[in-house]
Amino acid sequence: MPVGVLLVSHPGIGSALLSVASQLLRRLPMAVEAFEVGFGDDPDAVLPSASAALRRVDGGDGVLVLTDLYGATPANVASRLARLGTPVRRVSGLSLPMLLRVMNYAELGLDELPAVAAAGARNGVVLDEL
Amino acid sequence: MIERELVVANRLGLHARATARLVQVLSGFRCNATLLAKGREVNAKSIMGVMLLAAGQGTPVLLRVDGEDEAAAADAAADLFARFFDEDG
Repeated sequence: MPVGVLLVSHPGIGSALLSVASQLLRRLPMAVEAFEVGFGDDPDAVLPSASAALRRVDGGDGVLVLTDLYGATPANVASRLARLGTPVRRVSGLSLPMLLRVMNYAELGLDELPAVAAAGARNGVVLDEL
Repeated sequence: MIERELVVANRLGLHARATARLVQVLSGFRCNATLLAKGREVNAKSIMGVMLLAAGQGTPVLLRVDGEDEAAAADAAADLFARFFDEDG
């Protein structure tokens, strides 16, 4: 059973990335959901619905949580998600290259996926000068 | 090891959707797969790798596959190029 993926982001980011990835790959090989935290939302107040999303994508092998901006409220919600009992690994800097690379390594376990995600984001930065 | 000379024939070139199709097809095989174009060699099972080629319509590419199922992989990839990556043209 593949690891689940939860995108925890500012409004409009996670759902848009998920939509584009779905159209590029046709069928996503992992369970993925986007959970967007609104401006001014209280992390504790949104935790129950974030936790419900986490459980929906968890197939029993844990969840890779990708956040858009380290230290921002969505990432703070993600850190609370990591303390609920479900095995969770978190990576920030969510981008389309990161998401596509994770989908390309869907068979890997939760301990290996953070490095895969990080490399995807890093390699996605290309100084496009030629 | 098998090498196959292919040409990117679809209108949009090796853009994101076409690249994803190619990577998905090749990922179904165990053999190593690399793509060479414009003096660059990339992992043909990596979406970012293939996109870095920025191979537009008409670009000649060399597919190199190496492994037990290399023949089937080369055929599947060549077929996908010939089908314009399942796009309109």
